[in-house]
Amino acid sequence: MPISAAEALLEVRGLRAGHGKIAVLHGVDLTIHAGEVVSLLGPNGAGKTTLLAAISGLLPWGGGGVRFAGQDMAGAGPRESARRGLVHVVEGHRVFTQISVADNLELAGYDLPRRERAGRIEEALAFFPEIAAKRHERGGALSGGQQQMLAVAQGLVRRPRLLMLDEPSAGLSPVLVDRVLGVVAQLRAAGTAVLLVEQLIEKALAVSDRVYALAQGRIVLEARADEADLPHRLERAYFGQDVPTPLHA
Amino acid sequence: MGVTDTAAPALKLPAAPSALARLLPFLGLLAGALLLPFSGNDYWALIATRACIYWVLVSGLNLIVGYAGQLAIGYVAILALGAYTASVLAAGNVLPALPSFAALGCAGLVGAVFGVVVGLPALRLRTFYFAMTTLGFATIVTQIALAWQDVTGGGIGIPGPEMPAPLDTPWGYYLFCLGAAALCTWLTANIAGSRFGRALVAVRDAEVAAEACGVAKPRLLVQVFLLAGALAGIAGGLFATLQSYITPDAFTFDLSLLFFIAVLIGGRGSILGPLLGTILLTLLPEVAAPLAAWSTFLYAALLLVIVLAIPGGIAALLDFRSRRALPEGRAVQPRPEALATLLGHHREARGAIELRGVVLAFGAVRAIDGLDLDLRPGEVHGLIGPNGSGKTTTLNVISGYYRPQQGSLTLAGAPLPAGRPALRAPQGIARTFQTPRLVGEATVLQNVMVGATVEGRSTFLEALFQLPRQRREEREMEARARLALAAAGLAGLADVRADRLQHSELRFMEIARALMLRPAFLMLDEPAAGLATEEIKRLGALIRAIAAQGTGVLLVEHHADLIFDICDRVTVLNLGRELAAGTPAEIRTHKEVVSAYLGG
Amino acid sequence: MLASILASGLAVGAVYALIGITYNTMFATSRVMSFTAGQLGMLGGVLGSLFILRLGLPVLPGLVLTLAACALLGVVTEIVAVRPVLKSLDQHLYVLSTLALALMIQHTAALEWSTEPQPFPRLIGLGEGIWEEKYWLPVAACAATILGLEYLYRRTLVGRAFVAIAEDNYAARALGLPERNLRMASYALAGAIGALAGFAGGQLLLAFFANGPLLNFYGFIPVALGGLGNNRGAVIGGLALGLFQQAANFLVGGIFSSVAVFTLFILVLLAAPQGLFGAAAARRV
Repeated sequence: MPISAAEALLEVRGLRAGHGKIAVLHGVDLTIHAGEVVSLLGPNGAGKTTLLAAISGLLPWGGGGVRFAGQDMAGAGPRESARRGLVHVVEGHRVFTQISVADNLELAGYDLPRRERAGRIEEALAFFPEIAAKRHERGGALSGGQQQMLAVAQGLVRRPRLLMLDEPSAGLSPVLVDRVLGVVAQLRAAGTAVLLVEQLIEKALAVSDRVYALAQGRIVLEARADEADLPHRLERAYFGQDVPTPLHA
Repeated sequence: MGVTDTAAPALKLPAAPSALARLLPFLGLLAGALLLPFSGNDYWALIATRACIYWVLVSGLNLIVGYAGQLAIGYVAILALGAYTASVLAAGNVLPALPSFAALGCAGLVGAVFGVVVGLPALRLRTFYFAMTTLGFATIVTQIALAWQDVTGGGIGIPGPEMPAPLDTPWGYYLFCLGAAALCTWLTANIAGSRFGRALVAVRDAEVAAEACGVAKPRLLVQVFLLAGALAGIAGGLFATLQSYITPDAFTFDLSLLFFIAVLIGGRGSILGPLLGTILLTLLPEVAAPLAAWSTFLYAALLLVIVLAIPGGIAALLDFRSRRALPEGRAVQPRPEALATLLGHHREARGAIELRGVVLAFGAVRAIDGLDLDLRPGEVHGLIGPNGSGKTTTLNVISGYYRPQQGSLTLAGAPLPAGRPALRAPQGIARTFQTPRLVGEATVLQNVMVGATVEGRSTFLEALFQLPRQRREEREMEARARLALAAAGLAGLADVRADRLQHSELRFMEIARALMLRPAFLMLDEPAAGLATEEIKRLGALIRAIAAQGTGVLLVEHHADLIFDICDRVTVLNLGRELAAGTPAEIRTHKEVVSAYLGG
Repeated sequence: MLASILASGLAVGAVYALIGITYNTMFATSRVMSFTAGQLGMLGGVLGSLFILRLGLPVLPGLVLTLAACALLGVVTEIVAVRPVLKSLDQHLYVLSTLALALMIQHTAALEWSTEPQPFPRLIGLGEGIWEEKYWLPVAACAATILGLEYLYRRTLVGRAFVAIAEDNYAARALGLPERNLRMASYALAGAIGALAGFAGGQLLLAFFANGPLLNFYGFIPVALGGLGNNRGAVIGGLALGLFQQAANFLVGGIFSSVAVFTLFILVLLAAPQGLFGAAAARRV
């Protein structure tokens, strides 16, 4: 199927998912274009992490669909998603503590041809000189912030077309937050699309083109990141008073 | 009482089968068994006696495997112990010879003791360990029987005890064993239907919730191990008489497998199913003689098929009621007016629950970092904050799952012991869970009745023999459970299997279970998660009505609207500390809160 | 006497340790303790005897075939008894499904091979007395396995993927690791290790179908002592168990040595439920 320039990179339509009997997502629609940075905001328990897991195939869907780069992603697990360039960095900097930093990155390139792996690892490390220096240390020896960088670097090894980052700033000092979000800006400049789940709204907005707000498993707001009065509108959307009609561009 | 009526008139569910209807299959089997002697075929007498003896063992094992979910795979060891005990004592080759019945009694005692010894690891360890321990025990008992020749006769064996007339004929002995089997059916059914049986199943499927309801697992399991061990020991004695001569070969692991699989084929949490399973497996090798050599292989294959294809076993196949569709579009309609009757005589809170300077760290992470919190009777106290701010951890500290490193936790000035969740229910502190924790295979009513386990006064023995106090307590508990269900809006679903309920109904069922305790304090962990807007409103009204009865409610929630609607006071946590506390109106306008909660 | 206690104790201990490693290898990628571990050890002896004595193959092809057959059986275990019940790990259905499969294996061996212990061939014919090969072979096999696993886990990508899955299955899946294939591979590896245990210990334990449950139990003890998934603990625990058992055998006789082992097992488990080298498990709320 030819992919027209106008076609979105990621297209989520009516996606439903949950854990067992608990429905978390009640029909989510979301679109991301190539090279675009989109923030996904929302209060706790809104279903942001669930949405990312459903998109990457870590969680089965209860309905709806996902298309990525013109292909239907139904039935594709995380491995297939990563192969197609849809990479998910899960929350909580879950790197492997028993093996070295370099090995962590090598595992991220498990599916790549052997001769390409070393180059890709260097490429990913180039974003994070501070962990490049520690490439022979065990993942467990890194600080929380360094582990988060390593987790992002793992995602970069696959040269993603769309990188989904789940709360990369959680538990990080402000300096490190800027460091990690700075990489998002770099990626954007290089043409990689990013879907960013963030608690720090202002910092997220600063690097984003657009935002979606999720509340109680539904998209309650869609806006450009530079629109005025966003924080106030977000607050109203979260707190459940007169949910504003989603603005569809 | 009007409140127990079904809430929505559209909701018509089949009533639970009457006591007689439930008894019917057992009476049918008994009638068939009583007719058997008229066949006059002595070979059938042997097979049928064997089935009765196996059932004496399996009925007890059923409580362990089917109800408590403990995988005791080596129970043949206790059969062997009982058989050797009875034979050795009756033969008098070690001590002066005892009469057969006395020897049988001793076999039961030995069985009870070893039932507990083998069961000990189950009190602390994971399932697989217990399976292994019983397996190892079975291996060792056979080895000892072979090697300890002075007592057991080694490989040559020893004669079994002889029964006095009129039990010394095949049919006389058969009727005796049939009586024993019928008695065991009655006894174990009594336990299964009592609060002990419900607690066993709760420990199996929802151990954490059982603890919160005050179920003391070690004590409960030891009682059941005693009973099952005694029955297995007695079965061993009966078996020795039937065999008339026993050698270690009689107690192969295959036999153990038969017992174990009989329970699983029958289905967990059923008496009739394992009874049918036992009969089936005893008869199978007789009916299919050419396959006899492969019988163990077939049992194992059967086990695999059951585990993978029909985990419910025969009992699930026979459970026609649960296959009928439940009405669509049912709504939970709580009836707060029932609360006055339910909570009217509830334990008066003697004072507030107070946390002072509580610190709890996991490794280097301080999940709670110096928290003060007061939970007062009759108030709804909201606890909000971003993910990882320590809300649920706080709740787990209060309900005794975590032991804080610093600070104090008191109820009306008296310290609440840390790390002892089973001691909260007796203090009138109830809770629900973020993910509903319940017994899917039990009915909604049974699930709710678990909530009042701590109030049961009748003993295990009283339950075993259905003594008057036990019966009275059961009636009271059931009435109260129906009232709690009416209050929570689930009256019409009382007799439905819990795993057939929708998620929102399960949330209300957990509240009903907590209300069973008539709690002084009720802690709700995200009760509105996964509920529709309309249901959240009803939930809010229910919580307010509970607080109006004098119960203190701690509400951990993400739904800000619900919190601001119904709370008297709100505490906002961030990074394990109190960010703000006050009335909803104060919190609503608190600058820092808005930014922390929204993550600005 | 001390020398023979040491020789036979270390030899059976090495077999127990290898069965313990078999348990651990399956556990690492699936969180499942499989009852087939001991049966794989039993088959190592039975198939070795079948290929070498009954079919007359040379030692090396006999060994390779034995390992390959058991590796295949490992994969079958994963497909038939493990994968279908992984979704509901907390219900412990795997205990039943792997037990069922283990019993089917054992019973097939009893009926198709023999219900009596059959001889296992001498493989090399090197050494005598306490240096007889039946004593040092299991120890050598155990040492070789440990070295091989160390190499695998530390030096190869597949091995690191095993380590990663064992540590954090979810993160490994998110990273795009082929978790299912790796799990199958680890079951194949476990099959080969179990077979090696039985093959190396064949002259000591003979080719006997009833070795299955025995090895299941005595191979589990080192795992329970050393902590689930801890290979180092399994080796120390296995050797200690072998020495203790053989010493008790010589000193107080066979019956009481079994009783002693069993009692010690229960006591240690009650005192240290996570094993002597294991880490405490997290709380389940």
